Amino acid sequence: MDSPERKSISRRKLLKIGALATATIATGLHPILMAGADNGQDIPQNPNQIGFVFNQELCIGCRSCMAACKKTNNWEEGTMWRRVLQFEKDRIHLSISCNHCEEPACVTACPVKAYTKREKDGIVIHDPDKCVGCKYCLYVCPYHAPQFSEHTGRISKCSFCYERLENGEQPACISACPTGALSYGKLIELRTAAAYTEQPKGLPDPKITKPSWVIIPKA
Amino acid sequence: MEIHWHWLIVIYLFLGGLGSGAYLTSFAAEKGWLGKNSSLARAGYYLSGPLVAIGTSLLVLDLGQGFHQPWLLIRLILNVQSVMTWGVYILSAFIIVGVIKGYAVFKHIKIPAALTWAGTVLALATGTYSGLLLSVVDAVPFWNSPVMPFLFVVSGLSTGLSATCLLAPLVEKGSINEGREGQVHLGVVGLELIIATIFFGTMLMGINGPIGVESAKIVLIGRYAIVFWGYFVGLGLIIPLIVYLLQFIKARKESKLHLTQIDFSNTEQAAASENGHHSYLNKFTDVAVLIAGLALRALILFSALPLWDGVSIL
Repeated sequence: MDSPERKSISRRKLLKIGALATATIATGLHPILMAGADNGQDIPQNPNQIGFVFNQELCIGCRSCMAACKKTNNWEEGTMWRRVLQFEKDRIHLSISCNHCEEPACVTACPVKAYTKREKDGIVIHDPDKCVGCKYCLYVCPYHAPQFSEHTGRISKCSFCYERLENGEQPACISACPTGALSYGKLIELRTAAAYTEQPKGLPDPKITKPSWVIIPKA
Repeated sequence: MEIHWHWLIVIYLFLGGLGSGAYLTSFAAEKGWLGKNSSLARAGYYLSGPLVAIGTSLLVLDLGQGFHQPWLLIRLILNVQSVMTWGVYILSAFIIVGVIKGYAVFKHIKIPAALTWAGTVLALATGTYSGLLLSVVDAVPFWNSPVMPFLFVVSGLSTGLSATCLLAPLVEKGSINEGREGQVHLGVVGLELIIATIFFGTMLMGINGPIGVESAKIVLIGRYAIVFWGYFVGLGLIIPLIVYLLQFIKARKESKLHLTQIDFSNTEQAAASENGHHSYLNKFTDVAVLIAGLALRALILFSALPLWDGVSIL
């Protein structure tokens, strides 16, 4: 006698499960790309990860780093691999390029795998010959490191001058810096040093991509 | 504010949602969910594959290397971590199944039910993907909302339903059968209103931080307020809500009247008045829904402020 009732309940259940499953599929995919962003910044996952150091106390805003980078890397028209930003009031500067993040959003987002993160030193290298120019990385990078050239229709960005490193040279920007404001080193060593930050005021939360940089702020 | 994705991508996302919604409309009609002998059981299938294919070719046009080195595009399937790569899989599969289903329906060829169902799943996935592509971007707070995929799916359903209603009289010979599409569309638009309120409301309340608030303000009270309130809310929500609600009330009253009178001779007249869904008012409403769907994608893309502008330091 109770069979029709049971049937209707089970059908309702089925609908519920179906709706839940759809919702789960739709929302469940969402956190996949955002997982694991709550580790501390201090200990790099890769002990060999290198990063730029920028000392705001020492920078005089001469932009030699930009000029040297442009010359060495032959910036494609309309691109700026390194930028020197200035906070007018206090003459505080920030020289910024790619932060070769520990969790680079560009590597995850790029559909054609034009980005690779090297195991041996954590440098994030972009291969313009693989880039299709979809511009997704322009949105996902919080630091505006990838640069699109309308002229060539593709992205390019800072490579940490890895070819120079392999020849025992320093990155061009660091060689050119007259005051020593810009340098680099192994992140694991740099982060034991004095007062530093990964988030200069006004910049994005480092938890998003874990940038491999060390900023020594102006006292 | 730098915008990297322009109208080609707006239209691509719009057509993705439209194709997805059109397939689901015809699927629902085929299953009888839109009333007996619905006239919408074919037109949506015709639209789905081709529209998504057109959208995808617009995307290719937007690629910096779309013409320079098109052979590089094969690499788009490589990064299984990338939501954009998921999109390549989903859209390719949906275009193929959509075209096969459309052709089969046109030629009255029977295809396995599993294929039709696969198309349904892929249609939902296509709609979801178009929102997910944006919602996973942490560096753009306005996009970084779990509500985004739902908003795009339901808006795609609404535009798909409208496009199918517009096409049906052109492809169906003989009389058009009015089913429950008005009622269903009323429900879809009601749901869209709720989801859009949640999306813009939470954004304005600051759930995604101050930059999210700023983006929401551009849409709600700033530069794009007229597009938002006029095109999206007015054309896409208010007009269809009023039109379908009034028709729903009218239809109920009439059916009650006929029931009480038990006047079987009047059924012809009743059928004629129920033909409302294909009237000029409904055609206008369907066009309005399509414009609103396009406006929504444009608003979402053009109001996307980055978490950091790349210039200012404090």
